[in-house]
Parts: sequence; structure tokens; C-alpha cells
Amino acid sequence: MGLEDDARADFARLRKDRRDKVFAGLERHGIDALMLGGVGNVRYVSGARQLGRSGVLPFAPVAVAVRQTARVHLLSTWDEGVPPEIGYEDLYRMSWNPANLAADLAKVPGLREARIVGTDGLTPRFKGLISALVTDAELVDAAPVMAAARRIKTPDEVTCLEVASAIAEAGLSAMEEALAPGITERELLGLHDERVASLGAPHPPSESVCFATPSQGRVAFRHLASDRPIGDGELVVLAPGALYAGYESGLARTRVAGRRPGKAAADLASRCARSMDALVAACRPGNTGADLYRVWENEGNRDCPVPLAHGLGLGAEPPLIGLGRGRNAALDDGMVLSVQSWMTEEGVGGCLERATVELAGNAASTLTRYARMS
Amino acid sequence: MPDITRMRRERFARLQEQLDAQGVDGLVLLGSSSVAYATGAGEPGQDGDRAALFRTVAVVVKGDSAPHLYTMYDDGVPDDLPDDHVHGPLFPDLDDGIELFAAAIADHFPPGARIGIDHQTHAVLRALPDVEWTDAADVVSPAKLLKTPDEVACIRNAQLLNELAMVDARELLRPGTRQIDLSAVFLRRVFELGASANAIDPIWQVMAPTLELGPWTLHGDIAYPTVTTDRFLRDGDIIWVDAGITWQGYASDYGRTWITGRAAVPNAKQQKQFHRWRGVVDAALDILKPGVSARELGKAAIEANDGVRPWIDHFYLAHGIGVDSAEMPLIGTDLGDHFDERLIMQPGMVAVFEPVIWDEGASGYRSEDIVAVTDTGWVKLSGSTYEPFGVSS
Repeated sequence: MGLEDDARADFARLRKDRRDKVFAGLERHGIDALMLGGVGNVRYVSGARQLGRSGVLPFAPVAVAVRQTARVHLLSTWDEGVPPEIGYEDLYRMSWNPANLAADLAKVPGLREARIVGTDGLTPRFKGLISALVTDAELVDAAPVMAAARRIKTPDEVTCLEVASAIAEAGLSAMEEALAPGITERELLGLHDERVASLGAPHPPSESVCFATPSQGRVAFRHLASDRPIGDGELVVLAPGALYAGYESGLARTRVAGRRPGKAAADLASRCARSMDALVAACRPGNTGADLYRVWENEGNRDCPVPLAHGLGLGAEPPLIGLGRGRNAALDDGMVLSVQSWMTEEGVGGCLERATVELAGNAASTLTRYARMS
Repeated sequence: MPDITRMRRERFARLQEQLDAQGVDGLVLLGSSSVAYATGAGEPGQDGDRAALFRTVAVVVKGDSAPHLYTMYDDGVPDDLPDDHVHGPLFPDLDDGIELFAAAIADHFPPGARIGIDHQTHAVLRALPDVEWTDAADVVSPAKLLKTPDEVACIRNAQLLNELAMVDARELLRPGTRQIDLSAVFLRRVFELGASANAIDPIWQVMAPTLELGPWTLHGDIAYPTVTTDRFLRDGDIIWVDAGITWQGYASDYGRTWITGRAAVPNAKQQKQFHRWRGVVDAALDILKPGVSARELGKAAIEANDGVRPWIDHFYLAHGIGVDSAEMPLIGTDLGDHFDERLIMQPGMVAVFEPVIWDEGASGYRSEDIVAVTDTGWVKLSGSTYEPFGVSS
């Protein structure tokens, strides 16, 4: 990840604001320390640039925050990518032997004496090791501190999301320029990753970035790139994403391969756009997830097989609204959501619109921009 | 090419054997690689928190004929999984709807069952306070340790795709190229060639000539691997490359040393480093066969490097590879000599040898050779070109 040069966001301030929110949360909830393993949580509390990987690993303590000392400690054997407020003495080694990792953690000042420690997961093995070798503190959920801190974005975080949005838009244009009958989803995915990487964000948030929809028979949302050449006249979903300084943005547009949209495709696209506008308009502070379900149904739509919305920040975040979840999720000023409208029609195909939306003041502000199907 | 259906069947049988051997009634798996191992389910490559929120879940019940899969990625469901074993997603990271997760567990296991789990979310711990969880690693790790011939074929193919894409990346290597430009070319090409997913942000680390000129480290040894940036590469820069993709769930591991320049030729010292690296790997391979211990392999490597341990303090002489990019057998880690003495090579183990040769003042050489242990010795799974250092063994 390049470009983290303070030209747009003040990264020192961004990190300080995040740390302040975390330590205030520890104070508020009476938690003495955090042991965190989730990629977004580690980035949030430490600000460190760590190696991007695909997939999710079981819990391991990669970052530790101690309320008493107000220090953040990080599993990193070297200082590269580690911000200056985390000193050499705050780093602990990469170990293959969990007992060595536990021994290093036991040396973190203030951790052994902690009475309540928040974690973002556990494994039966780490739970045993922590209790035996690190601290006999009660292990509780870190989410009241971490999820609460991450939910509302600071202006610097929104700037990062705007930069990520710009990179994602470039990913969309790379795919749109290449889209023609005969090209494969796999080739479009390659072009997407190439463009996004060359703009400084080599590890995209998802490789689910495009799929062609069939003009005959049942239409399903697909996630894995296929080798089949895209057919003339097929509706093709282009759904790029990008990470900037860890912040994720994404959007989606649908295009017809090889020709201008016919009437049936244009009708589907305009229904998709209408529902999208209704969803975005419902993303208002004071509303809840139920309002998104309500406007979706009011537009005449049935259950959606993909989420209507979910949080965005340092990666995908709660709340999840859709798939039966999130009716009670409160929408607040300062949240950022990925919002999407997915519509299908047998004999025509499928149409997806997705946007990254900031809840600011009274209304929703769309951070991602791109022309709709016309 | 591998028979993927047979591979899934044989893996599932290994999990069942281990459930029996460990006295565990079943598994609940939340980690990406464990789910892939147990079910063969496909999912798009995704960054950590996205992969977590939208994670697939596998449930393996002792005595059952197939795993249960809970996923929102319908197009990744294996064809041969029975319909009544395929379910919608569970979202175990959220309290909202966690009663559905609890109900699923209750469907599969009677009260008091001993269930292995690889990752516990707090929502799961709250919803199932009475379950006595054990660590799934006790079942999954021994099952994964020995690869079937189909698994070995998957690793070999993943590695081939990775190596072919690196040909294009290396052609771009010249002064002014940025690290991210190499990533861009590599990622595009590897997907064109057929990769299922990229596994890590590709690494193109510029090695400083001395340890002091490199990043500060806790152990005083080499800092590696550091994360790719938009750094410009300069003529003569020594680049330690490391990248991994997956194919059918199996990881590749590409490691080479490159020299920046349109027609870069290693100098005499660099050639010597390469030959020493080759000598270290060959010393280990010369004795590698079933029955040899990890400790003996480590000793042979150290001896070939005149008594100096030829690997980085926080790593290993060799690591296994499979659905995880680094898994057992781990040879030469901080698990210690006693562990290595008891770690005995067996047919079906796969090892990635990645010793490092370092000359203070002249940087060093690092590459990776992947071999599978056979009944009588080993077979190489990675390619045998090491440009610009030439071809060897």
C-alpha cells in the first residue's frame, strides 16, 4: 500500500483520534486491556501497515492495548510499517510456539494485573494459554469498545474512504473499457486488480468484482470468476473495490456487453436504480435497518438474496442489514454503509447497483460516483 | 490433473479418522482454510474483516457421510455435496440471528457432545454457554499433515500458475518500476492463467546490504517480509520476491531473489551466495526420506553453511504447505529442537525449503524449493529456474 504521505489525510491525527476513542471506550466500560486479532481492529488501534492476506484466520493476539499505561503493543518483529507512537519496547515477536507468544505477552506492562480483558475472539487453546501464562483476567467481548469506536467515522477516515472510492471507480473504468463479447470474468478480474494495484492499493478487499448474468433462465448472484466467454448482449455486473490505508470502498454498475441496452434491460436497470435511490434515501440518521427493508418492499421487491447494506470502514463492518438481519440496527450520523440494489428478471438478466454512502447530517452522501446504465 | 471429488472424499475420511482417534464428536469450523479443507467450498478471495463478516461455516459430525456447509456463496458449493448438507449463511460474528447458529449446532449434536472449534466469536460463546469446546486444531492439523496424491497435484498446479505469472512480472523489473507495478502485472497474469484467488499481498522487498541499513528488528536478524509500497526500484537493487496464490483451495509459495536491471547479471559474490543456498537445500534433500527427523534436516542444512544457521530467526528452514500457506511440518522454528527431533518425515508431507544466505555488506540470497516426501525420497513440485542466477538441479 503506497500513497500514505499525509497529502490528503493527516495520518498522525487519524491514528490519535482512533486511539483516543479506544481508550475512552476502555474507561467507559471498565475494561483494563484489549487483545485483538481481527485485521480491522489491529489496524484501528495500532495504525500499523501489516501484510495483507486473503481469508480469515482463527483468533491470535496481534495487538494489545493497556488502559493503565495508555500504550499499544504490536506483534511485529520489525519497525517498518509501525507508526512512531509505538516504540521498539512495545513490539513483540512473531512466534510459531504459542507458549513463546504467551511469555512475550506476559511481559507487556499492566497486562498481567488486568482484571477484565476484551478480545475479538478466542480459541480454546489461546483461552487456556492466556489464563495459564498471561493473565487470570476475565475475558470479555471487545466489541462494545471496538465496534462502537469504529462505527462513527472521523473526517480523516472519510477522506481515506473517498480516496478508496476514487481507486474503486478506476477499477470500474478498467473493466468497463475492456467489456466486450468474448472476454471472460477472469480476464476482467485481472484487469481490475491490475488497475487497482497500479494506483497503490495492491490488495483489493474482494475478488468478487464481476459476473455476467444469463439472458435465459434463472438468474443468480455469483461470486466466483468463471472462464466462460461473456455473450453478446448479456448484462454484466461490474463491482470493484479498493482499500486505501486499510479503508474499504466499493461500488457496482451493470453494463450490457457489446451493444446498447434494449428496452427490457433498460427497464430492469431503471427499476434497480429506483430501488437503489429509495435505499440510499432511507440511510438517514434516526432510521433503522427496518426502514431499508420497508423501502425495499415498498418498491415491490421480495426478499433479497444479498445484503441491502452493511457497514464499511477498515473493511466490512456491522451492521448487516438484509438476509433477515439488522432490522433493529440504528443508523447514526457519521456511519458509512455499502448499500446495494440487486434485481433480476428471467429472460433479461440481472442488474446490480452498489454505492458507498456516508450518513452526514440529515442525509446520505454518496462517496462513490459513476454513470448509471443509459 | 487431480480428481477433485476423490480428493474431497479422502480428506473427509481423514477428518473422520481423526475425530475417532481424538475422541471428538464433531467440528465447527469458522476459519477460511479449515472450511475449505473440510468442505471444498469455494469463496472469493477477500480481505480479513470481509471474509469474517461473511464467513462460511462447516460442521462435521462424527459418522456422517459428508460435511454440512453454511454459505452465502452458492456458486462455490461443491457439486457432490448432498442438498440436505447445504445451508444458508449463519453470520456467527453477529448477535443478531445467533439463535439460528445455536439451533444448527443443536440439530447436529446432542447435549454434552465434545465439539472441536477453530475460532470462537463472543456471539457464539454467549449463545452456547454450556458447550464444552475443544480446539479443532487437534483434529484438523493431523488430518492435513499428510497430503493425498490429488492434494499434491493441486499444490503443483497452484505453483505452476504462480511461476508462469512471475515470468511477466520479472520482465518489468528495471530502474523506475515501482513495487506495486510488479504486483499489478503479477495479479493480472495469475488470474488470466487460472488462479482461484490471490493469497497474500505480493512481496518485492528491496534488501539492504547490511542488517543495520534495513529495518530495526527485535532479534537483530533480517526483517522479512515487509509490505509492498509504491517504492521505486533502482538499478542493482536486490529483490527478495515472495508471493502465493490458491488453486482449488491449495496454496503456492513462490520465493526467488531478483536483481533490478534490464540485463542484470549477478556478480561473483552473489553467484557464490546462490551456490551456497543451493548447497544448503541439497544437503537437506540428500537425506530427505521417510523416517528422517526435522532435527536431522536442520543439522544437515547448518553443516552445509559452515555451522551457521541458514534461516531467519523468526522463520524456519522449511514449512509445510496445503490449504494454509504455512502449516506443519515446520522445521527449525522456535518450537525447539526437542519438537524437531520428534517430527519425523512421512510420505505425503510437503515441505517448502527456504534457507537464507546472508553476507553482511553484500545482502543475501533467498529462494524457495517445494518438495513432496515420497515412499523412498522426494519429488520436486516447484520449478527449477532461478533467473538471473541460472538453472540448477
